Formats: sequence, structure tokens, C-alpha cells
Amino acid sequence: MPELFGVSDILDVISMQHFVQNMVSIPLIQPVIDFLLQIPVLGYIVALILWKPMFALLIFPGLMTLLTVLLFIIWFERKLTARIQWRKGPLEVLRWAGGVIQALADGLRYFFQEVIVHRDAHRLYFLQFPILIFIPVLLPLLFIPAGTIVGIKSPYSLAITVAVVSLIPVFIVAIGWASNSRFAYIGTVREAFMYFAYEIPFIISVISMILVYGTADMVTIVERQAIPGIILNPIAALVFFITTVMATSRLPFEIPEADQEIAFGPFVEYSGIMFGLVMTIAYEKMYILSLLMSILFLGGGNGPAIPLLGDISGVIWLFIKAMAVMVSLAFLRSIYARLRLDQALRVSWTTIMKISLVSLAIGVIINLTTVGVVG
Amino acid sequence: MTEREVVLDVPVQPPTDLFLPIPKKFLEEAYRGDDYVVLVGPQHPGSGHMRLILRIKGDVILEAIPDPGYVHRCMEKLAENRLYIQNIPLFERPAIMDTGNVTLGYVRAIENALDVEVPERAKYIRMILAELSRIGTHLYDAGILAVFLGHTTGFMWPFALREPIVEAITRISGVRVTSSFIIPGGVRRDVPWKTLEFVRKTTFVLEKRLKSFEKIFIRNPTVIERLKDVGVLSKEEAIKFGVVGPFLRASGVEYDVRAVEPYEAYDSVSWEIPISDHGDSYSRFLVRVEEIAQSISIIRQAVNELRSMPEGNIISEDILQEYSEVASSDIRGFFFKVFGNLVLPSGEFTSLTEAARGTLLYSIISDGESNIPYRARVITPGWYYLKGFMEALRGERLADLQAIYGSFGYFPPEADR
Repeated sequence: MPELFGVSDILDVISMQHFVQNMVSIPLIQPVIDFLLQIPVLGYIVALILWKPMFALLIFPGLMTLLTVLLFIIWFERKLTARIQWRKGPLEVLRWAGGVIQALADGLRYFFQEVIVHRDAHRLYFLQFPILIFIPVLLPLLFIPAGTIVGIKSPYSLAITVAVVSLIPVFIVAIGWASNSRFAYIGTVREAFMYFAYEIPFIISVISMILVYGTADMVTIVERQAIPGIILNPIAALVFFITTVMATSRLPFEIPEADQEIAFGPFVEYSGIMFGLVMTIAYEKMYILSLLMSILFLGGGNGPAIPLLGDISGVIWLFIKAMAVMVSLAFLRSIYARLRLDQALRVSWTTIMKISLVSLAIGVIINLTTVGVVG
Repeated sequence: MTEREVVLDVPVQPPTDLFLPIPKKFLEEAYRGDDYVVLVGPQHPGSGHMRLILRIKGDVILEAIPDPGYVHRCMEKLAENRLYIQNIPLFERPAIMDTGNVTLGYVRAIENALDVEVPERAKYIRMILAELSRIGTHLYDAGILAVFLGHTTGFMWPFALREPIVEAITRISGVRVTSSFIIPGGVRRDVPWKTLEFVRKTTFVLEKRLKSFEKIFIRNPTVIERLKDVGVLSKEEAIKFGVVGPFLRASGVEYDVRAVEPYEAYDSVSWEIPISDHGDSYSRFLVRVEEIAQSISIIRQAVNELRSMPEGNIISEDILQEYSEVASSDIRGFFFKVFGNLVLPSGEFTSLTEAARGTLLYSIISDGESNIPYRARVITPGWYYLKGFMEALRGERLADLQAIYGSFGYFPPEADR
């Protein structure tokens, strides 16, 4: 049996040559990059960062963009809501920019607040789940293609992403269980109910899009969208959007958290930075699902290519589309009231389930008629 | 002299068992019946300053026990140590926006005792103030209802709409909220026509803004879904549990103190009593929305009436007596001289007022010789309909607690007094 990886293979993989072969090309700053690549250690680091999988992990859609989006969308949501409600919204932190770093200031404040672990909590799990939850939150970002930049290419990337995203509520249920409080308990039960209610239509709409494109590889899906998916199967897009609202517990489906009823549900006992972590989960999930929606229905990184930016133009188009989806999700908060749990369950198990089946039928029809054309 | 240790032989033992505001039997029964006892409040975001003890089976409330009194301020006892006139600012404290109606009730009880006839112009000014307060309270309650449903826009808009009303009250009385403008025998001072014109214009602004509020909140499908057929009180139940005010009218009982025993100038303006037959949370809300429209119409009619009246003479001569020449259009400078030694004849004097949230009862007992009341009794609408509120919760879902709470506009400081 031959050796799987020899020493020379490993050296090959971590060699600068390997990174340079698969590098993000940005014609605008190419001379700068070329110059930096000449410098011994810095060149290696630059090559590593610009290596497409590493770029996907660190810059877009990975960590840096995630953090920026978190800071931005929380501020933007507050500002938008404030504008609708005849208010000013966050303003005092960095006044000339309209308080844009308010979320950062809040995060810093959380850092210096005491993390209280109450007597009844299951201490170990209470403290570790808010951190563990970042595994299912960050993992899908590796599979999401931004133009030609993608972390891990896989023929099953869409399926993997959806599967990992589906794990998030399990962690939230675990958080509620570890909190061991009445309101957390009620919130956890609500979260579990909502989980089952939205997950099935959500997966059905994704499957119908897999049928439309004939593949579960997101890179191929984006390539095949000469016509955006929202025109091919608008009903699937509708189902996906509504279930995204449910999955990220935005209004009118902000049922598990419901701060007036059960005081933030599963997260009621958290304080300090732990609260900061659990509070952002919904926003991170919203970011991932918005990316997924732009890839499935809005053509992902497709768009008029900007020659000067090279590979970055796909990144920019995907970012713009994802932000548009996120903004429309943020807009819902100032329009709707919160539904009751049973009403939300009734809506999702009847109406949304029905239209998701219709979207599946459309997917099957498109799959059968276009087989051989795109499939 | 040596110091001596003083030992008081008082048997004091610290309590050994946990104090709960619930009967022990209630807890034991709930435990045996596999129910869940949830204490909502008093530090809960959706409970106000009170505690609600709920017995829940699954998601359904089997029983609700109120535990009010967290904002009790001994108002009635305090009133026994103050001059009659000093009690006006005291009694208007419980209700934030309802200053007009709350002071009107107390002042009318005094006027009943003294048998004073209020000048016509003062009656209309008082009515305007009362109706402005009514609109303000209804908007306040609509905002609280909206935020209980998670609708933050529906919370912010009424609170912003309240602002023109507060401004109007400021221009009339000089104070934003607790105006103490209504005094026995009339009002403190005359209102110039410019201010009246502002009040009239305010009603048009309100009407216009309320239309956009209607679009985003009142006719919002999620709001209707949440409030319709929730917390239903039938006509019989509403009467049995002593529900008052707009909440009684929402259950189909056409009772309004303003119409049954008209006070001030309510019998000389035309207005309707909005009623609904459903008795659910949504109709309780809609009745109050309709009352805002009626109040706006009353204010406009009153302003029109006031225009044709001569200015001045807004305090009764029976009260002013020798100061009637100098203070008939402005009490400033003569306030203590006129009211400092006000003594009521002995007896019990009662007044019923239709405050924004319902019937408000004042009862003053006087011994006939002192300038402070012997006993003052206030029963606020919140206290009247607390029982009905608790009964409406029975059989509803836990998530509906806030919807029903908001639909009643229950206001603990007002109920606790």
C-alpha cells in the first residue's frame, strides 16, 4: 500500500508555489502583490492569505466579513428601525459617522461585565455551549463560493451546508437545557417546536433547487444560473425566505426569544460576554442563510465583471446580494408583531408546507424538461 | 455610672420557611397535577409593577392570581393629612397621562359637598383637558399593547403622537403631565383663544397621524391574528366581574358615566359611545381607538363653543367670595387665601367620573370642622377591572398573557394607588 502523504507531498502543499498557483487575482493591486511576494517572509504570508481557500476562510465569506457584517447589520437594523419609528437610533458613539461602531462599543462593554453563572445552571455546559455553537455557525462559510473563491469544493457542498446549519438549533436547545430556568425551559421548547416547523419546508425548497440545477455543488449551481433561480422557481425562493425568517427568529416569528413574554427565552440567564456571544448567533445564522439565498436564487457571485478587481468582483456581487437579503430581513422587525407559537406552527405546517411541495413539483418539472440541456 | 446592657424580652424568630405569595395548597395541587407554576414579575419585562402567579398546563393558563401592591403609595392615608387643595396633586400621581380625569373626579366630589355651580366656560375647558388626557392615555396604552406584541413601531408612534397632546396640555396649564389645573369651582386660569386654536389644530394633526398608525398597527394582519378571539369576556361575565370603562363597552354593555350621569358639558356636545359585542382583546383595543376619534370630536365642539363665549369668569363666585372681583379669570396670587381654609360640611360626598380606563370613584368623608378630609376613598378603574383581567386570562395560552395585559391597559400604579 503506497504512502498517502510523503514528506515531499506535505512540503509541496505548504510551499509558496502551491499557494501562488491558486491565488486571488486582483489586477488593480497586482503590482503591489508582486512586490510583496518578492519579500521573503511577508511574501509567504501574503501568498497564504491570498490563496483562495485561505481567502475564503479569513476574508470573504469568512471571519473578517462575518465580523464586519455583524457590526454593520446590528447598527443598520437599529438605524433603519429608528428612522421608521421617528427616532435617531444609535448616535453617540462616533457621532460623525452616525454611531456606526455602536455594536463594537456594546461588545466591549459585554467584555467588562461580569459573567454570572447562577446556582442552578449546569456550569460546564452553560459556559461551553455558547462557544461550541460557533462550529456549526462558521463551518458552512467554507463551502460557500464567492465567484471563483471557495474554501472547500465538494459535489455535496449545498447538502453539507444545510446539514450543518440545521445543527444550530440543537445547540440552542442545549443552551436552554443547561440554563435550567423556567423561562429558558419554555423558550427551549418553543425553539424545538419552531425547529421542526421550519426545517422541513426549508429543506424541501433547497431540494427543489437542487432538482432545478441538477447538482448540489454550489460552484456549479452559480455557474448554471444564467437565469437567476428566483425566476426559475419563485415559490421555492418565497419558502426559503419565510423559513429564513423563522430560522433566524426574526419578527413575526421571534417566538423562542420573545423578550416581553419569556425574557429572551433560552438565553435569559446569560450575562456579560456570554450574552454577547449568544445574542449574535441569530445574526450569524442570518448571514449564512442570506449568502445561501443569494447563491441559490440570486445568482451568487454572478454579475457584470469588473476587470480591475478580477476575482474580487464575484465577492462584491455576492456581498451586495447577501446584504440586500439581510436588509430586507432587518426591515421586517419594524412592520410585524410577534405571532403566537401555535399560529406560527399552523402557518408553517399547513400553508408553507403546501407551497414548499408546489415548489418541489416545479423543481421536478424543470428537472425533467431540461435534462440533457443543463443536467 | 456603668454602662448596662439592655435586654428586651421580645420573642423574635427569623422565618425559617420560604415566603411565597401563594397559598401552600395551590403549589401542592399544581405539583400533584403535573402543572407548572410560573411567577411572572415583578421584575419581568412584560408584567409591569406587579406579580402574576400563573398555573400552566402545557401552554394553557389554568389559573391566574394577581399579586399587586408593589407600587402602593398609601394615597388614601396621605390624603388624610393634607389640605383639601393639596390632595389634588397627590391624587393625580397614579395615572401618568390621565391628569384631567383624575383631578376632575376629586374636584367634583368637593364641589358636590360645597354645592358649587361651575361657570360654563370652565366646564368646557375642563372637558377639553379631560378629553386630551383620555386620548393621551389611550395612546399610551396602545403603545404598551404594541410593545407587548413585539411591535416596536406600534410602540414608538403612539408615544410620539402623545407629544402634541402633552404640548397642548402644557400650553393650557403650563405643565406637561401633572397639571393640577382643575380646582374646586373651576380652573386655575382662563385659556386664551390662541391656545384653543392650537388645541384644535392638534386634533387635526392627530387625526392624520392616526391614519398611518392604523395602517401599520391597527390593521396589521399579525396584530389582528394575535388579538382576535383572545381573552374573551362575554357580556354577562364582564358585568359579573365588575369590569368598567372601555373594557365593559367592548363586551357589549353601553355604559359610560359621561352619558349616564353627565357632568361638565358632556350633555351639550354630541358624541357616541363606541361599543363592541365581541369582548375579545381586539375589540377592547378598537373601542379605545374609536374613543380617541370621539374625544377629538368633543374637543373640536368644545373649542367652537368656547369661541363664542366671553373670556374671563372661570372660577365660581361661591368659591371666590370676596376675591371674585380680582381672581375671576386667574387665581394666581389668591390661591392660598381662597383655598387655604377650605372646610367641607360634614358627611360623605361621592363622585363618579369616566376616566380613560373606566369608572373612577372618589369618596370624601368630612367631619365638618377640619380643613383636611377625615377619610378619602379612591377606587381607580384598574382596581375595578383587575378581576375581569384575571378571568380573561383563564384558558388562554401563556403567550397571550401579554396580549390580554396590553388589551386591558392595566396600569399598576393607578390600580395600587
